[in-house]
Amino acid sequence: MIQQVTLMIDGAPVKAAKGSSVLDAALEHGICIPHLCHVPGLKDTGACRICIVENMKNGSSTITASCTLTVQEGMVIRTSTEKIQKLRRNIAELLVAQAPNSRAIQDIAVRCGVKEVRYPFRNDNCVQCGRCVRYCAEIWRANALGFVGRGKNRRVEFPFGIRPEFCKNCGSCILYCPMSVTPCGGPMKRGEERLCGKCESQTLMAPGVVGACVRCDLGKGFSCSRHMQ
Amino acid sequence: MRKLNHFSDLESFRQRLQEKRRNILSTIIIPNGTCCQASNSSAVIQAVLKEMAKQGADKNIHMHLTGCHGFCEQEPMILFEPGNIIYCRVNPEDAKEIVTKTLKNGEIIERLLYTDSVSGKKARTEAEIPFYRAQDRQLLQYNKWVDPRSIEDYISIGGYRALTKALDSISPKTVIEEIKSSGLRGRGGGGFPTGRKWAEARLAPGDEKYVICNADEGDPGAYMDRCLLEANPHLVIEGMMIGAWAVGAEHGYIYVRNEYPLAVQHARLAVKQARDIGLLGRNILGSSFSFDVDVARGGGAFVCGESTALMASLEGKVGEPRAKDIHTAREGLWNKPSVLNNVETWANVPSIILNGSGWFASKGTKGSKGTKIFALTGQVKNTGLVEIAMGTTLNDIIFNIGGGPKGRKAIKAVQTGGPSGGCLPVSRFGIPVDFDTLYETGSMMGSGGMVVMDEGTCMVDVAKYFLKFLQDESCGKCVPCRIGIDRMLEIVTDITEGRGTRQQLKLLEELAETVEETSLCGLGKTAPNSVLSTMRYFFDEYIAHVDEKRCPAGVCKKLINYNIIEEKCNGCGVCLKSCPHGAIKGKKKEAHVIDPQLCLRCGICVTECKFDAIAVG
Repeated sequence: MIQQVTLMIDGAPVKAAKGSSVLDAALEHGICIPHLCHVPGLKDTGACRICIVENMKNGSSTITASCTLTVQEGMVIRTSTEKIQKLRRNIAELLVAQAPNSRAIQDIAVRCGVKEVRYPFRNDNCVQCGRCVRYCAEIWRANALGFVGRGKNRRVEFPFGIRPEFCKNCGSCILYCPMSVTPCGGPMKRGEERLCGKCESQTLMAPGVVGACVRCDLGKGFSCSRHMQ
Repeated sequence: MRKLNHFSDLESFRQRLQEKRRNILSTIIIPNGTCCQASNSSAVIQAVLKEMAKQGADKNIHMHLTGCHGFCEQEPMILFEPGNIIYCRVNPEDAKEIVTKTLKNGEIIERLLYTDSVSGKKARTEAEIPFYRAQDRQLLQYNKWVDPRSIEDYISIGGYRALTKALDSISPKTVIEEIKSSGLRGRGGGGFPTGRKWAEARLAPGDEKYVICNADEGDPGAYMDRCLLEANPHLVIEGMMIGAWAVGAEHGYIYVRNEYPLAVQHARLAVKQARDIGLLGRNILGSSFSFDVDVARGGGAFVCGESTALMASLEGKVGEPRAKDIHTAREGLWNKPSVLNNVETWANVPSIILNGSGWFASKGTKGSKGTKIFALTGQVKNTGLVEIAMGTTLNDIIFNIGGGPKGRKAIKAVQTGGPSGGCLPVSRFGIPVDFDTLYETGSMMGSGGMVVMDEGTCMVDVAKYFLKFLQDESCGKCVPCRIGIDRMLEIVTDITEGRGTRQQLKLLEELAETVEETSLCGLGKTAPNSVLSTMRYFFDEYIAHVDEKRCPAGVCKKLINYNIIEEKCNGCGVCLKSCPHGAIKGKKKEAHVIDPQLCLRCGICVTECKFDAIAVG
């Protein structure tokens, strides 16, 4: 039998399998924590930091990504305090300013409550969530893609820049890429980037209400793992 | 060499060595670390050796090449024992005089003695030099007596005695208790209590455990770890062995960056010597304790100084950090319990075991015990490595030891803790330097870099410099650090180039807070410190840049203009000739003029003008 632990997420007692992540436990119970780099079945890296939560301990709280946080008995987690909402909004703003040409990123921005983008847009093609790299390595064991470089110059690349023989053109990388679907209004040209915000009316769930997940269309947009399963 | 098989073997070996050394009447000591070599110490050594051989002085005089002693400003140095006489800034041409006069006849060459930059007095010995006098050199004191390439030197000054004491009579549990009660905290930056880390690793389940020495020092302006590992590698190895005995590890790694070739070389040699003599390997000195060390080279990524990134790099993976919700003391290298400590932390361990935790805890402040080495650099007279008891004030360090400002400009701030630390203004120089006080003031102890800045430094420019460094050195894994720092740099660049607005200042603060709270690892979490601390203490400079489009320190090129003051200029024409862009015009003996359209603000004219006739503003 799978051992279970009980933890509190947003005031609700939640049972989760030992060893699973807080994000999985929350999503399973319909508690919406927006996320980008998390894909069910792949190892979590905590790269996008959208899924941050507050981990309450001895009266103080630490902010950490819920996908890499393992559930523990008696844990107290808060997923949408004012502070978390603000930080999440700021991260989503950074993302959407970097790569506005993606429905997933635009939807995450809407979900996190981004109302304006205070940075100049950049129109990058990649947000380095690493979904493709991990899918290729962990599911197909092909390792045909990897990260190259450091910091600003880090990018996804074939080994030595050449498509290797062991890449079978399966297309999983494209399937899981959040950048492969453009915003509803079509691709944005350079200089014409904007915050789309069309889906705002679809934000049905009231933040902070446990079990409110209705598998919204917005979640479908940013490939929320409730839709992927 | 014969292997030592028992504690008594080591003791008798030590006695034999000390006996042998008693016959040496006079010693000439020349520091030859990386910093010394940079100031041409190798040539001095060659010249002195040649001269000694020529004059036949090489037989009864012992020459001792050591690591850096810390006073890097005055290198290359030569010390003479007995007498403890110091010569500073020696040239290879001085060799003949040194050998004839000092070595053979015991005369002192006045011209080579140290001149105190404040009082102008000559100083003969170490004790007379204010730079050394105000320090409390617990770790650095050994550097003078130890040739890093010789295990015999280390053993003869009492090396590995703490190890035998621990193996012989102290149980691992008591060792940890001792470290705990000494109050030793990690010297790498975080200041985590070392004893607690060890205890956690000891209790963590696992058949294999590791101890790791972090010598991946990457802060600009900090080099105490390099100096320690270079000058006294056995001290670090001994500390690691005691740690391994305490937590139950059988294998250790020294992770040292490849940019420190001499440290790599000395560490490797030290490990080999210790293995040959039987101090590393199976059943050390006949006890049940087995331990071995490997030296691993790092590729020089700043982020690999972070514990999880370092371990990933040791495993052969890309040096990127991972979430640390579970301490590395429980799941570290290859998911086994691992104790990672900084070079200086390990170096502190032997003396704690030897002298007791009470001795160590008697130095320092309530929360931070012992001594700490700082790399004092920047606009002070005496730069170098400074070891002081925790709780010494910044005033003491910068004005007593450092000797005050280097040039005519007054000191304005000090940057502590490298890129993760912050800038403190002169008004805060009264604070005692320890982990907690520095943290409260918005800076950090870091690994111990201290860059002193004078009025000629623009604090916005400083923030920009550190952001640029961090942007280059961020691994790029998580969004707040990769994109956040980049955007912060974008905003600060806008400010220094005169495009800044008040809204941007607000955004900068909010963004800094976001990066601080949400980044994956310590690098990202501390990255905004340089921005936050300069905004906290030097907000007026930001305002001047944003509102008045003016750089008060005259550094930010887009915001300054060079003008010639008519009254002061006598038309000598030096600036006209030196200007690479042909921006200065004027007739001889008449005041010159700078054409702001052609001027590229290189500042060459300011340095060339002997009459201070060029104003920056």
